[in-house]
Amino acid sequence: MLQFPVGTLRPSMRILSDEQVVAIHRAAMEIMNSYGMQVQDEEALQMFRDAGAIVEKDRVKLPEYIVQDALNSAPTRVVLSNQKGERSLFLEEGKTYFGTGSDTIYIIDPETGERRRVVVKDIGNFAKVSDALPNISFIMSMGNPIDVPSELVYMYEFAQMVKNSNLPIVFCSDSGPDTEKIWEMAAAVYGGDEQKLEQNPFLLHYVEPVSPLKFNRTSVQKILTGAKHNIPMSFPSGANAGSGAPITLAGAMAMGIAESFFGLVLQQLVRKGAPFVFGPNVSVMDQRTTVVSYGCPEWALTQGAVTDMGRFYNLPTWAYAGSTDSKRVDAQAGIESTFSVFAAMACRSNLVHDVGYIEYGTTSSLEQLVMANEIIDMARFFMNGIEVNDNTLALDVINRVKDQSTFLMDDHTLENFKTAQWYPKLLDRQNYPAWEKGGSLTMEDRLTKEVNKILSNYQPEPKSNDVLAKIDQILDAGL
Amino acid sequence: MADLIKEIHDMVVEYKKDAIAEKVDQALNEGKDAESILNNGLIAAMDVVGEKYSTGEVFIPEMLASAKTMKIALEKIKPQLQKDVVASNKGVVVIGTVKDDIHDIGKNLVAMMLEGAGFEVHDIGIDNSPENFISKAKEVNAQILGISALLTTTMPMMKETVEALKDEGLYEKIHVIVGGAPVSQQYADEIGARGYAADAVVAVEKIKSLLDS
Repeated sequence: MLQFPVGTLRPSMRILSDEQVVAIHRAAMEIMNSYGMQVQDEEALQMFRDAGAIVEKDRVKLPEYIVQDALNSAPTRVVLSNQKGERSLFLEEGKTYFGTGSDTIYIIDPETGERRRVVVKDIGNFAKVSDALPNISFIMSMGNPIDVPSELVYMYEFAQMVKNSNLPIVFCSDSGPDTEKIWEMAAAVYGGDEQKLEQNPFLLHYVEPVSPLKFNRTSVQKILTGAKHNIPMSFPSGANAGSGAPITLAGAMAMGIAESFFGLVLQQLVRKGAPFVFGPNVSVMDQRTTVVSYGCPEWALTQGAVTDMGRFYNLPTWAYAGSTDSKRVDAQAGIESTFSVFAAMACRSNLVHDVGYIEYGTTSSLEQLVMANEIIDMARFFMNGIEVNDNTLALDVINRVKDQSTFLMDDHTLENFKTAQWYPKLLDRQNYPAWEKGGSLTMEDRLTKEVNKILSNYQPEPKSNDVLAKIDQILDAGL
Repeated sequence: MADLIKEIHDMVVEYKKDAIAEKVDQALNEGKDAESILNNGLIAAMDVVGEKYSTGEVFIPEMLASAKTMKIALEKIKPQLQKDVVASNKGVVVIGTVKDDIHDIGKNLVAMMLEGAGFEVHDIGIDNSPENFISKAKEVNAQILGISALLTTTMPMMKETVEALKDEGLYEKIHVIVGGAPVSQQYADEIGARGYAADAVVAVEKIKSLLDS
């Protein structure tokens, strides 16, 4: 009889035991049932009241069955299409996708290396470079431009992302009205077909509550508008340990999870079955500098733990990686981004954002993004494990070559070298003379070179003139 | 004699917040002068804490605990102090976040640090219109108006607050200092704010230097 092949173990990691998961769940439930969330919007208060929540002035407490109802109606998997309408990100067990982050204040100028305020063109450059990078699967704006009217910032960001990439978009908005306009722009990408967009969304709405336990009015308005259109949503609070949340990670997570569920409940009250990506952002506020860290091991831990919680709730998960607290793309940036990318992938977090952030999320860097692309590639190879079969055990090859000096000449090497090894694109493995001859370039030099190469050579598949005209028309009309 | 004040000083540095009240009572009972407790005990201690923070010996929670300890002591000696001696020593600050911005962690930190440094602080909380800032500043005769914003979308309210201050003819009298993630020195200069601080410690230093100048 033909024997079964040996299965391949793909290394993966859990952070929490089943017992810990349940204990954190109970704590989150206690926060929702007993402490409640302050909701700063009348319409939402009424909706919570009608649903059976306990409303004391502006504080909403959720009985367990309301949370369970929301969990029952939310889909267990979320699929995001790309802008061509091809279903491409399957946010479900075991799958991990990396993408950029939202609104930074500054950017490192790719030409001058100077740290300066973000302008609208930068959003386009990040979208374009992301589109070119094989390991970047979705985009966010990566900056808050100062050269457009401030009330239209998020609309301009969205337009830039549409014009320069075909990747799925995770977008931010200011409130209800601009969310509606962004929806119109997204529909324009599908030739105005809103039904197609509802069924195959290429966008996900990033909405945040304010820790501790405050549901601000603009966030409510965003959810009311987004859920109406079935826009997938994530609702991660910045439940950062030691500032908006307790200094201890378990409590910070429990609170962040409770906050996240208030968003889920409201979304499901507006529209049952609207897609939701679960999980708070639980980093730490450094108790020496008050900076919220984007390179700390704590966030790497909590996002893995949030992924474990997501499995328990049967919801796709939100996470972060590939960013740094360093002010430049340097050794620190390399250390911190590698750590978080490796952790996010090992834990199989689904939607991993903030790739390309430096300076604790205040500045974005194209070099950092390109470096992270390489790190993701390396981690991907690692997580794929070691295939064990007749070909890879290569017993016949060993037998054949045992009396010679090297395996290099053997056909088995020729046939397998491309898949058996990982080849870096930007990490340098040349011998010293070759490296010197190439200009003695450091990793930083190579990153800058690569960024500028992509910016001048890469062209994303363009949108039709009709789509572009419609987008500009919506932008020009304003709010 | 001097030892009791030294003890109070050290208790603030070591944030013995549960024991400080008793020690201050003891000092007052033994005839120690309230102003000397304030200057040589409390404020001197907070200067030491500030220095230790700068060198990385002291972390923020410890500094805040020292500030809390200092405040307990201050409440004890207040009745004995000449009226307004606290305010005249350091200054009166009104602080809050701008309209439509409810992110207040940074603002709260600055307020606590200022109290710890001996300022009279009026924290008017979140979501403040320019009128709110100004009416409170008038009411308490503030020299400093601290305005905080976390979002680029709410940041323009800072400019409006400065403009409103000008309209009221108070711009020369009240120093505006701004802070928050999207705010920079350049932005402060653009809108005519007198100061910008990147964190709570710098905010205290900046306000001290604004009042000294």
